[in-house]
Amino acid sequence: MKMSRNLLLLLLGTLSALAQEVDADLLKVKAKMDSVQSFEAGIIMDVDISFINMPTKEATISYQRGESVKFNSDDFILIPKRGFDFSLEEFFRHPFITVDRGIEMYQGKSYKYINIIPNSKKADYAIASLLIDTLNYRIVRSEIITKKEGAFTVNMKYDSDSAALPASMTVEFEVEEVKIPLNFMGRDTDIDRKQIRTEGKKTGQIYLQFQNYRVNNL
Amino acid sequence: MIKALLWAEAYKLMKQSRTWYAIAAVFVLELIVLISAYYQGAAVIDILLNNLKESFYFEGDLLNGNLLIYLILNSLWFNFPLILMLVISGMITDEYKDGTLQTVMLQPVQKKWFILSKYIVATVFTVLMVLVLALSAFLFSYLIFGKSDLIVFIGKLNFFNAVEAETRLILAFLNGCISMIFFSLASLTFGVIFRDTLKTWIVSVLFLIVSNLLLKFDFKWELINKLFYAKLNDTWQYFFQYEIPWNIILRNNLLLVGYIVGFSAIGVVIFNKKDIG
Repeated sequence: MKMSRNLLLLLLGTLSALAQEVDADLLKVKAKMDSVQSFEAGIIMDVDISFINMPTKEATISYQRGESVKFNSDDFILIPKRGFDFSLEEFFRHPFITVDRGIEMYQGKSYKYINIIPNSKKADYAIASLLIDTLNYRIVRSEIITKKEGAFTVNMKYDSDSAALPASMTVEFEVEEVKIPLNFMGRDTDIDRKQIRTEGKKTGQIYLQFQNYRVNNL
Repeated sequence: MIKALLWAEAYKLMKQSRTWYAIAAVFVLELIVLISAYYQGAAVIDILLNNLKESFYFEGDLLNGNLLIYLILNSLWFNFPLILMLVISGMITDEYKDGTLQTVMLQPVQKKWFILSKYIVATVFTVLMVLVLALSAFLFSYLIFGKSDLIVFIGKLNFFNAVEAETRLILAFLNGCISMIFFSLASLTFGVIFRDTLKTWIVSVLFLIVSNLLLKFDFKWELINKLFYAKLNDTWQYFFQYEIPWNIILRNNLLLVGYIVGFSAIGVVIFNKKDIG
């Protein structure tokens, strides 16, 4: 009796999940981004992490639909693991449901606020929150809680109403500060991994400015 | 007269086989350090970037010539002055041992100019050795491992682009020159004091070891930490702070030059006062 009740609950739960539709505005955003076949752009990158000093970096970014973005630079650059999924492929790779959270104000404008919750254990994120510009069908802010790589927040700014790709982007992330023995690279260069201690999580940011877009639309 | 003495001292220095063994030893050491730095470099980068791996992909190679030169700088600042001290102290102890000092003093040569010429030649030789070391380090490292950004940990992870890194490494070598001159001339002063080759070597090596130990020793009084000679010998590391503290570098170098002059003056005075025999 108890077993049949559990089975019934499970069935109802599954049906309920299947009944959830993917948000129509998100699909429109996806369609708009899918219209971008490929693009190339120059990027100027600034890092703001409390325990890192790094000069402004320049690189080029290239994107081909269906592939992950590629970076090229003569310098050493740090590339955030999240924030460059322009076509939302990572969300659509596995089944998910969306939950409409209503309207939220952000930087003086109102946007549609939705949650994306994956249905599949294979998804590498636990939950994502998006602010969607429903007039121009593009994402202005996304917060992604990943299963293994911490939380990322991406803010995007656009040059014009028609632009599909951002003019600038800020990626916020959590990172653990590393404590290294004082003489680590000093006169004694012995490496003792046991001495390395971490001291809590810090929030870091990377600012990216995109220049000279060469976009190939469908 | 001083010109002739300088030439004579330079000739004697370059004529002794010990000098060439020392130059060869520097190259051998450099090669060994370069190889170990290459293998150590990967571990260094791995540790420094370990916490960033979770959030970032990395583009570009940090295991390049600039990191290797930096590791060479770190590793050689003990071995290199050791070699220099063994060669430089021989400039005076050999004269005592071989009895050539008496012969020279039979000539119309002032003791003061004679010993001063040794100090000057020792300084020039030290500078040339550092230049050889620097040139070979840059040449081998860039030729084999190329040039890219440098990562250094001094309180924070400091990244320098290739051009900036090269400039800072050159400045570090130039600054290191002053420390090397200090140790070289100190060994010459020890030679004047102890006369015997072996005793001078032992004292010089002890002096170097103690200096290195005291470098890390934290004195209770901040003034000692700022002014004591041993604390000034890693001033070159300041060139790898993100904002170079020029005031501290200038102060430390002026102090170290003061110590150099002081040590040399002691040697000149003692040599002048002591009998040659």
